[in-house]
Amino acid sequence: MTTNSLYFVNWWTDTLIIGGLSIVTWVALLAFHHSADAQPIFWFALVLSLVVNYPHFSATVYRLYQSPDNIRQFPVTAWGLPLILFGAVAASLWQPGAIAPYFLMLFLLWSPYHYSGQTIGLTMVYARRAGFPIGRRERMALSAFVFSAFVCGVIRFQQTGSSGGFTDFYGMSVPAFPLPDWTEAAAQAVMWTGALVFVGFAFVWCFGEKRLMPPIVLLPALTHFVWFVPGASLKSFWIVVPFFHSLQYLLIALVMQLKVRIDVVRGEHSWRRIGAEARRWGSRNILGGILLFIGLPAAFSWLPLPLMTIAGILAAAVNIHHFFVDGVIWKLRDTATSSALMMNIAELAGPGAVDLTRPKVVEA
Amino acid sequence: MRNTVAGIVLAMFAGSARAADVAAGACDPVLATPREAFLAAGIAAMIACGVTSFFLAGRVSERTHVALAMLVVLVGGFCLFTLFGLVGREIPVAGSLVLLGVIGLFKLMNQFEIRRKPSRSDK
Repeated sequence: MTTNSLYFVNWWTDTLIIGGLSIVTWVALLAFHHSADAQPIFWFALVLSLVVNYPHFSATVYRLYQSPDNIRQFPVTAWGLPLILFGAVAASLWQPGAIAPYFLMLFLLWSPYHYSGQTIGLTMVYARRAGFPIGRRERMALSAFVFSAFVCGVIRFQQTGSSGGFTDFYGMSVPAFPLPDWTEAAAQAVMWTGALVFVGFAFVWCFGEKRLMPPIVLLPALTHFVWFVPGASLKSFWIVVPFFHSLQYLLIALVMQLKVRIDVVRGEHSWRRIGAEARRWGSRNILGGILLFIGLPAAFSWLPLPLMTIAGILAAAVNIHHFFVDGVIWKLRDTATSSALMMNIAELAGPGAVDLTRPKVVEA
Repeated sequence: MRNTVAGIVLAMFAGSARAADVAAGACDPVLATPREAFLAAGIAAMIACGVTSFFLAGRVSERTHVALAMLVVLVGGFCLFTLFGLVGREIPVAGSLVLLGVIGLFKLMNQFEIRRKPSRSDK
């Protein structure tokens, strides 16, 4: 195993994007941002949304709908699900007081759950790259840690972000999800047990292999912990958590896209080509994100509702669609996906890049 | 024990039953409350998924049929969520059960339209 093959790009880039940057931001906000007014950070996050958050949704849509093969392979996700979501959006717009709050509540619960799924996926990818096998027991311990942290986060977000039992979302009052007082203590107990067991497995592996586990393997889970446990009580921080989640996603999605475009099409293998493909993909996704989150609400602005209400409901629908599509297109058990997730970007720059999408052919 | 369980279930659904009482005279669809109209639309969507699955029998893969069944679960789950999503405000323990149900729904949806391992009967 080369040093590079542990990372998608290199130590610095992967460490910063996967969690380093968000942990540094949390520490900085904790140390220097003492104002209760989170408005400046909100506006900053909104600007970042245009170039990171919105494109991350667009990247999923692009990945699913860019090829007719994908649409044929996943017809319910490509056609059936948008129809159902269109129905939910129509019902929410028709009854913004009776149905929309529940639709938004569902989205606000699903979103951190989705982040948890990404954390587990990233840990699995880096563990596989490091040669640390994640079997059923390891995965159970990791899931216990990650999903309990998610429950803690939901409780803390509501404590920090809601007033009078309601959370503000795009100017709408979404009811806080009611839970008994002991839930957080129970979730913390499960979370720490899961963490201890997983770290135990990591220690056993280190002793067996006589080497240290690369920190990048544990970084996604540590980052997730910072986002959902200590970070969830800091409003100025959790405003930017979606940005960091999207950043993680874009790194992986970019590598996947480059793999599809450069390796499979069998074009020129060079950094120049990588740069051109990345710019092309990035600009398309920025445009797609603007269409999804600004263009789509503008198209419905003729409805007799505040534009923010329309934008909030549509944003929830785009998010939920993303959660489904993500689950479909990023399954590690899929050979093409898992092999692409094992590569380093430099492999695409050299002429001798290995065609990892067809390992069985190579073996044969 | 069975009587206790039946009693708890009856108590839980008493609120919904009262809602049905209030709506008992509302046979006229025009008089249906917005929530009742939404539930009717949800039921219609579930029927549409079932009918689609029926007419596609033999023409599409098992994975597509399973995905359509999961859409039924999603629509039904959301309809129940609009009815009982805030039950935890009255009964805190029920709030935990709703959260567990919602997590179960998310977990199930995570398996949406993916390749499944062949069952024993397929071998």
